[in-house]
Amino acid sequence: MKAQIWRITVITLTTFGLAVPSFAGQKSEGKHSPAIEDFLERAEKYLELRNSLEKKLKKPGDRAKPAEIRAHQLALAELVRGARIDAKEGDVLCPEAVKELRQILKSEFQGPGAKTAKATVKENAPQPFECKVNQSYPADAPVTTIPPSLLLKLPELPDHIEYRFVGSNLILRDVKANIIVDCARGIASMS
Amino acid sequence: MIKLHKRFDLLSLLLPVVLATECSISAPADRDEPIQGEQIELSLPQKAGSVRFMVVGDTGTGKSAQRGLARTMEAARGKFAFEFVLMLGDNLYGSEKASDYRKKFEEPYQPLLDAGVKFYASLGNHDEPQQRLYEQFNMNGERFYSFKVKNVKFFALDSTYMSPEQLKWTEEELRSSNEDWKICFFHHPLYSSGGRHGSDVELRKVLEPLFVQYGVDAVFAGHEHFYERLKPQKEIHYFISGAGGKLRKGDLERGSPLTAAGFDQGQSFMLIEISGDEMHFQTLTTGGATVDKGTLLRREKLTKTNGTEDKARVGAAGSSNDSSKRATPSNGEASRTE
Repeated sequence: MKAQIWRITVITLTTFGLAVPSFAGQKSEGKHSPAIEDFLERAEKYLELRNSLEKKLKKPGDRAKPAEIRAHQLALAELVRGARIDAKEGDVLCPEAVKELRQILKSEFQGPGAKTAKATVKENAPQPFECKVNQSYPADAPVTTIPPSLLLKLPELPDHIEYRFVGSNLILRDVKANIIVDCARGIASMS
Repeated sequence: MIKLHKRFDLLSLLLPVVLATECSISAPADRDEPIQGEQIELSLPQKAGSVRFMVVGDTGTGKSAQRGLARTMEAARGKFAFEFVLMLGDNLYGSEKASDYRKKFEEPYQPLLDAGVKFYASLGNHDEPQQRLYEQFNMNGERFYSFKVKNVKFFALDSTYMSPEQLKWTEEELRSSNEDWKICFFHHPLYSSGGRHGSDVELRKVLEPLFVQYGVDAVFAGHEHFYERLKPQKEIHYFISGAGGKLRKGDLERGSPLTAAGFDQGQSFMLIEISGDEMHFQTLTTGGATVDKGTLLRREKLTKTNGTEDKARVGAAGSSNDSSKRATPSNGEASRTE
């Protein structure tokens, strides 16, 4: 009897364990398309630039005072803007990559699960503001939540750069410098 | 008056038992003025060696409502010496200059900070990620991190950006944790009866399976500007404590099948005490009124031993060294010992 109960318990628990998704390595590890590879290389180049500029500044530690955090961010943003004075839309989010990203977003916002994905993005969207490359992300604008399912599909960005939506625009935001790295306009239809 | 009851049948051994279950949404008019400590009636047992903390979210306005509630927190601490605070995001609204940190965090909570209370923050949709560097938020430079206090492991997540990297980290952290209690806290609620926001179903899809599989006991979230205790969902207890500064009166859906208790008529915060297999909680308003209280038992823990799964109660946690690089370094600060 005890053995029987034990067997049933193990079978039940094992079945339950197999049924639960594991997210370790769930994101596709396969090769990207040439357009996406190009996009990611551009993002890496941006990161290298930002990191090289950051070396000129005293970095706040993990237990910094607010004034240090703020000063560092402002100074870094100024350096990045100065180094990217001619930066324009499409420099990182290049047109070919945007075409593919548009398809990914279309599958997310028009496919199964679209309703909740759109609700996630829309429910705390900031008041629309003009997105410009090198502009600071406004202090009074909350960030949209990116659905986790979408982040699993989008190409993984380098550290401290994130995707965000502003209306139907997809932006790349450098969270260290708090600036908009690039913007793909009208790429996501939320209607 | 909240009824207490226990179920002792076999099935209940597999379920967390909440010793306070009558569903109610409190709607008494709350005093706007904070009260003195002697006026607060606490029902927490205050057992020797227990883990005591406070939970509050959506605080960072710098306005009188936040400050009033903060004074009640201070008064409550005079009677219940909580040692740390879980912040559920939206720690600072609007700009984040040094003066904003002072106005929206340091000044309201100065008495608690002076008393050595540690604040562990998670990020909300109004927070700049660089808050992770702020010394008083104890995030150790990370957007998501874990820390341990005695036999309780806490996992702070960044629900605004649940990247594959974070999901992988979360799963690994939960899997490798052998503490008696696992508590997650972050901004967006997986379950909510709020009219303004509601449940974050997308986040639930990716996090709930992990919480279920790896034995999370309780989840605290903010974002909704009210208090709600949800009925247990798949054996996990969910709380929303998002009225630490902001408030959205009347936003809690009456008659929601999710709600076990709620309060949306004033600011509130939670006091928690974990002792052995019991988590005691009490939710207080600015005026010191109790709008919810109760005790819940921790879930049975599944432990993997040599490839087999065995249901067992895990004993007190051994090593205080976390393997994750995102765990608070074991410098003796986060790992509390008697």
